Amino acid sequence: MSGIVTAEWRRSLILAVRYPMETISTMLTMFLVFAGLFYGSSYITSSPIGAGRLATIVVGYTIWMTMMSATSDMGWSVQNEAQNGTLEQVMMAPRAAVWVFLVRAVMAIVVFLIPLVVVVLALIAVTGVTFDWRAAALAPFGMTLVTAWGMGLLVAAIALIFKRVGQVLNIVQFLLLFVIMVPIGRQPALLWHGVAMVLPFTAQVALLRQLLQSVGPGSGSLWFEAVFNMALWMAAGILGFIGADRLARWRGILGHY
Amino acid sequence: MQDVTFSIAAGEVFAFLGPNGAGKTTTIKMSAGLVRPDSGSVCIGGYDLWRDHDRAARQMGAVLEGSRNLYWRMTVMENLLYWGTLRGMSTKLAKRRAGDLLERVGLTERARSTVQTLSRGMQQKVALCQALMHGPRLLLLDEPTLGLDYEAGEAIKQMVRGLAQDGTAILLTTHQLDVAQQLSDRLAIIRQGQLVLQGGTADLLQQFSHPVFAIVAASPWTAEILERVRHAAGEVRVIDSVSLVYTPNSEDMAGVYDLIASLAPHPILRVQRHQADLAEVFQKVVSEGASA
Repeated sequence: MSGIVTAEWRRSLILAVRYPMETISTMLTMFLVFAGLFYGSSYITSSPIGAGRLATIVVGYTIWMTMMSATSDMGWSVQNEAQNGTLEQVMMAPRAAVWVFLVRAVMAIVVFLIPLVVVVLALIAVTGVTFDWRAAALAPFGMTLVTAWGMGLLVAAIALIFKRVGQVLNIVQFLLLFVIMVPIGRQPALLWHGVAMVLPFTAQVALLRQLLQSVGPGSGSLWFEAVFNMALWMAAGILGFIGADRLARWRGILGHY
Repeated sequence: MQDVTFSIAAGEVFAFLGPNGAGKTTTIKMSAGLVRPDSGSVCIGGYDLWRDHDRAARQMGAVLEGSRNLYWRMTVMENLLYWGTLRGMSTKLAKRRAGDLLERVGLTERARSTVQTLSRGMQQKVALCQALMHGPRLLLLDEPTLGLDYEAGEAIKQMVRGLAQDGTAILLTTHQLDVAQQLSDRLAIIRQGQLVLQGGTADLLQQFSHPVFAIVAASPWTAEILERVRHAAGEVRVIDSVSLVYTPNSEDMAGVYDLIASLAPHPILRVQRHQADLAEVFQKVVSEGASA
């Protein structure tokens, strides 16, 4: 496994550094989006935005972008590999391909978060507001990420069979928006808890919201739902990918595009 | 594919031939674990590819058809390190191995070039290095010389010979029958998913060669000579004014010596026994349904 980590880390870093214009334009886009959100909402509400609001905006958008990236990275990776013709070489590696793509997705997020941190620091410098960091939020954020990778593996599984994932990701994007909006934190009825056990991200985002809004350490049941949901989606992703891998080899369509 | 069974020994080049759509690439992909057969097994270095994939895959490297083996946006060295470490090599070992391989193919100076800036021949050499990074015991080559110029093609052939001498088993598919003939120790021909011929290359060429002799004169045959050869033991066919083809009655050479004696003192330019080449064998097996 360490071989895959070394290989994918080096590859991700090389490709990020090789084309600096791409990295710079990504960072610039992030900065403009954050600045737009910050100054835009400040202008519309005609009131200065304090540290709390900025944190909410930045953290919310960061989670959204990270989730989208984690969900789509593996699908795009499979599609691009199939298009460029290197997918079959990757699938010949002496490790189950699911680990290769999972490690690749983790490395992609690390490479994605580095410019993001730079952008957030730049934003703090420009706006002059500071964040109230909460280390406790890292755990639900990590769970959100793992859930996103589970979903990403399912998208990658679809890509292994059908090779094109653009349309699937468009749908996933709206589904994500929907599941994040499910107000489980405010309506702790049994039905919502049942939904949170199954729907991706719902429990994790609700937990994150509670922690960030200083409501408390988060209810025990919500923590359980978040952990269960994360494990469920990651297991579904791994099994889905392995199943798609087998199906693609049975049908002999790995090299098709 | 049906009832396709073959084995490749260490140090052996096994050519797998067939017309388009016969199942060559499918076979090589089955051998690489990319296509799973309905039944049967693939065993590499003693490990079953479908039951013990990781161990079997460590024994194998492949250069697939076309430019499908490398990341074009990465340099030669970056590619080799990536594929080496992905297959379980340490970075240190991968660097040393990559350096050795690049030196072997004469691309040390291009180690820092991105793959997309290399010529097709250079890319193919790097693809071969990529497949060899982890020192596989079996190398799968799908059309390794396709689209290469003469020099690059020769370099690849030279590498294949060297690898076989070092003990690597090589499965080679190609449409270039001259390449297969030059490189292979054994070969198989597949038609519509079924093996129709398998054996040692030299033996098969010998089996498809006939005891027929072409005799070419330095000047046109005289009427007297033509009259004399008409009485030779066997069949004589006059092809043109300077050439004739002789088929003796028996396999021994006595008839040939008798015929040549009867041509004296006419100047002879060449006497040549028919020697089948792989193109002829392929044509007979695939089009005419012949077997060894």
